[in-house]
Amino acid sequence: MKSISLYVDNHTWLTKVHPFTKLTYIAAAIAIPLIAGKLWLFGCCILVSLCALASGKVLKRAIPLIAFSFTILLTIFLIHGLFHQGNANVLFSIGPLRFYREGVLYACRIGLNILNMLLSFAILVLSTRPSELVEELEKKGFSRRFGYIINSVFQIIPQMMGTMSTITDAQRSRGMETEGSLLTRAKAFLPLISPVVMSSLINTRERAVALEVRGFGSKSKKTYLADRPAHKGDRAITVCLLLMIAAAIVWRVGTWLLSR
Amino acid sequence: MKLFKTKLDAATIVLIPACIGINYLGKLFASFLKLPLWLDSIGTCIGGCLGGPVIGAVCGAANNLIYGFTAGDNITLIYALTSLGIGLAAGIMARLGFMKTFPKALITACVAGFVAVLISTPLNVVFWGGTTGNVWGDAVFAATQAANMPVWLGSFLDEVVVDVPDKLITLLVVFFILKGLPKKLTALYEVNAEIESLD
Amino acid sequence: MAFITVENLRYRYPHADRLALDGLSFCVEKGEFIGIIGENGAGKSTLSQALIGLVPQFYKGAYGGTVLVDGLEAGKTPVSEMCRKVGLVFQNPFNQLSGARDTVYEEVAFGMQNLGVERDEMRRRVREALKLLDIWQYRDRNPFDLSGGQMQRVAIASILVMQPEVILLDEPTSQLDPAGSEEVFAAVDSLARSGITIFMIEQKIEKLAAYCDRILLLKEGRQIAFDTPRKIFSLENLEEMGVQPPAFTRICRDLGKALPDGSWPVTEDEAAGLLREMRIRPLLQERIPGQPGRKTGQGKGQAADLENPGTEPLFKIRQLGFSYTPGVPILDGLNLELDARPTAVIGQNGAGKTTLVKLLKGLLRPVSGTIFFGQEDTSQKTVAMLAGKIGYVFQNPDDQIFKYNVLDEVMFGPQNIGMSPEKAKAEARKALETVGLWDKAGENPYDLELGERKMVAIASVLAMDTDVVILDEPTIAQDFAGRSVIAGAIRELKKRGKLVLAILHDMDFVAECFERVIVMAHGAILADGDAGTVFAMDDVLQKARLQKPSVARLCRRLSGETGELRVCLTVEEFLQRNGGTDLLEKP
Repeated sequence: MKSISLYVDNHTWLTKVHPFTKLTYIAAAIAIPLIAGKLWLFGCCILVSLCALASGKVLKRAIPLIAFSFTILLTIFLIHGLFHQGNANVLFSIGPLRFYREGVLYACRIGLNILNMLLSFAILVLSTRPSELVEELEKKGFSRRFGYIINSVFQIIPQMMGTMSTITDAQRSRGMETEGSLLTRAKAFLPLISPVVMSSLINTRERAVALEVRGFGSKSKKTYLADRPAHKGDRAITVCLLLMIAAAIVWRVGTWLLSR
Repeated sequence: MKLFKTKLDAATIVLIPACIGINYLGKLFASFLKLPLWLDSIGTCIGGCLGGPVIGAVCGAANNLIYGFTAGDNITLIYALTSLGIGLAAGIMARLGFMKTFPKALITACVAGFVAVLISTPLNVVFWGGTTGNVWGDAVFAATQAANMPVWLGSFLDEVVVDVPDKLITLLVVFFILKGLPKKLTALYEVNAEIESLD
Repeated sequence: MAFITVENLRYRYPHADRLALDGLSFCVEKGEFIGIIGENGAGKSTLSQALIGLVPQFYKGAYGGTVLVDGLEAGKTPVSEMCRKVGLVFQNPFNQLSGARDTVYEEVAFGMQNLGVERDEMRRRVREALKLLDIWQYRDRNPFDLSGGQMQRVAIASILVMQPEVILLDEPTSQLDPAGSEEVFAAVDSLARSGITIFMIEQKIEKLAAYCDRILLLKEGRQIAFDTPRKIFSLENLEEMGVQPPAFTRICRDLGKALPDGSWPVTEDEAAGLLREMRIRPLLQERIPGQPGRKTGQGKGQAADLENPGTEPLFKIRQLGFSYTPGVPILDGLNLELDARPTAVIGQNGAGKTTLVKLLKGLLRPVSGTIFFGQEDTSQKTVAMLAGKIGYVFQNPDDQIFKYNVLDEVMFGPQNIGMSPEKAKAEARKALETVGLWDKAGENPYDLELGERKMVAIASVLAMDTDVVILDEPTIAQDFAGRSVIAGAIRELKKRGKLVLAILHDMDFVAECFERVIVMAHGAILADGDAGTVFAMDDVLQKARLQKPSVARLCRRLSGETGELRVCLTVEEFLQRNGGTDLLEKP
């Protein structure tokens, strides 16, 4: 079954890092440049993320994630470079299009911020089994109902995709065309999506019964098959990251006080 | 009438992942058919209508959080708030009886659409300087910026152009799906159901 | 006091007007094996869910009476508590997995985690259950990647580890292939011996007869009888209750051979003993002439025999090859001709049956070889172009239903292939009458039960009036009445000269309704011939892991031979061979 999760267990050190450490890293990578407000810090964080991804051998698989948001980055550059409110100094021009310094700088800030977020998230996403993340959260008191929801989404989507292709076959068997003009395709929309939506809703009844008889509503304290103790390295990294966030705050507050 | 009364039993918990899956499919369809719509909140609205506003909100928020945290699509993460709002709005409207007939469902669609616009606009301005990532909407935004209108107004119009038609289609689909659901299923989500005694 | 006491149990689903359970009262002792039988809608599943408290706590509705399991009142004790005592396994293996675990091992532990069982204990129990059900080797696989039979055993293991004292099995094998059912029945076998109390709902009546201490017969929510299998199956009006007695019982009843206590035998053993004693000659001692179909079994090369040279073949398949991934052929060099005789394709899941019919239908394209339908090469046609000629009923009706009423749903196909609305409506009406659903034409298909939805799907293809009708597992979820309706539809289609091609796991049904049987395994045709011949080929059946129809098993048992003898396949045939009876004099 094809999973929608991007995680692949490639046995690198990155997969062995505790999920909470990766979460802390995300927080730090996003917060530090924003708090400090310096453009070069975005660059630093991006560089660190890239190094982590490379040494975890998942850099290649991070590329589609970046490509995915490429269009939005492009529109931001175009729109702000051309039309930003504060635009005054022309930076360069391509034909009749004049790109302004202020707009491009503004777009740069947004673009770097997005890229930074994407890459820091990529570390978590590409190297953590979702159910592991959920289990660790549950052990820390996260609701087991929500835990179930998250895990279940990962199973349900591939199932629905499988159902989708069967439905397409079933409706084509009854003489429905799925290829052709936009009108033909639009007409096919309802016969295709309706059965999958209906059956996935109807299946919830049996699935709910299945959960009930497995003690899902039980008030007992849940137990787990495995422990996932934090590594020594995990703790060290977490402390460092938190210190860095604190440092950024101190620096920002300090400069603000000095400037007054 | 308790507007926010919610059951949190196995039936509603199982409903949520199904709804999130439906969102995913809708989104896939929209991109597959190259429609100028998102169609990614069909499930959220179904969740809201069946389980109530709280379940709708949970469906919406969980949808974006899960994709953001695990599928690497963290742009959607920011819009968790919007989805939450849509689910909540659809749930409240359904509880008030605004999903019972077709014209009323249209009103629900408009409400959900405007809720989405109200929440998304500030997010767009803060995070992307006003764009939405949708070609049609961003063309409008570009036009407003070229005309030197304020960013927030441009972004607002950008969102209106995208979200209101999207929610109209979404709620229409939801309306027809709800109409077809068997009683056996919908009975599971009735909050006021009690066990009647035959003795 | 008895271990389980049910007293005047009455229940009505929300928004329903009739009682689903109406005044049930019975007692069950610890360790008994109880069967529950009755037609669809008799309240069997509802009763099983009442025993674990899902009725009324999960479904709400109206409830009366008491259900006591070992002192716990099922109507009031939370299901999360009841499930420590009572376990439930139901039909669909897919929907009863938690859907939130990546491996079989974790899936099986899910229930125990909820109940807070200690880790070492959990690991011990999982290991034990997986080994007992022979699925230990799949422990690291994703449960959804397993076959139906394996998945169903995972479901049973998941319940077993919670160590219930009662297990409720609600048609656990109805959606499985023959090998999958055997796997599950073997598991049930070992459970029955462990002293656990079991309730089993099952349409495979021969199996129930073999296992049960007592059987509860329901009709329209009322308790008709609760007695030993012999007493139950000796009831005069059993057929009126929507239940057909086991084949063995029917044979002995018609031959008038009763057990010493006056009741009819219900199991193969009992019947064999009795008939042997009475020196009944059950078999035709004729050798099978030339053993047709055998030749195709050896290599994949030769063409199938045509036993009826008079009929023009509808499909000509030459050197057909297909694979989903290059290098892993599903079908390879397959040759086959299909004429208008009703034909059943049998074999295990993964034998290539569905792939073959999808190729015939044009849903898949051959990688090599050709398929001629009449004079046309199907690879030149789109699915929609073939839709008017070849109809295909998918296994799961929910994969196609999308209209709000049954009539519209059935009219969708005919209108797609260009019938006028009037003609489409007339055809739809005819089709719905054939499957006995015309009185429900205006209902929402999703409000119907699965068995009826399946009939809607069949009708929606019949209404297209195609030359070929392909049926994928039509008998799943059907009771005795439903099976008779489908058998009638097949006869009707044959009379109109249409080819019915069905994939089936129900060998008794194959024996009753199909003239030609094709056995497939690993993408090749092992045997091809008339049903009597094919079901006599012990080695082929063994190789394809298929069982004989019940009557054929009895015949083989009585003859004591393993030679190539044609065997009787159905009760009627058996009786005919053994001198006419009253039954057979009727037209």
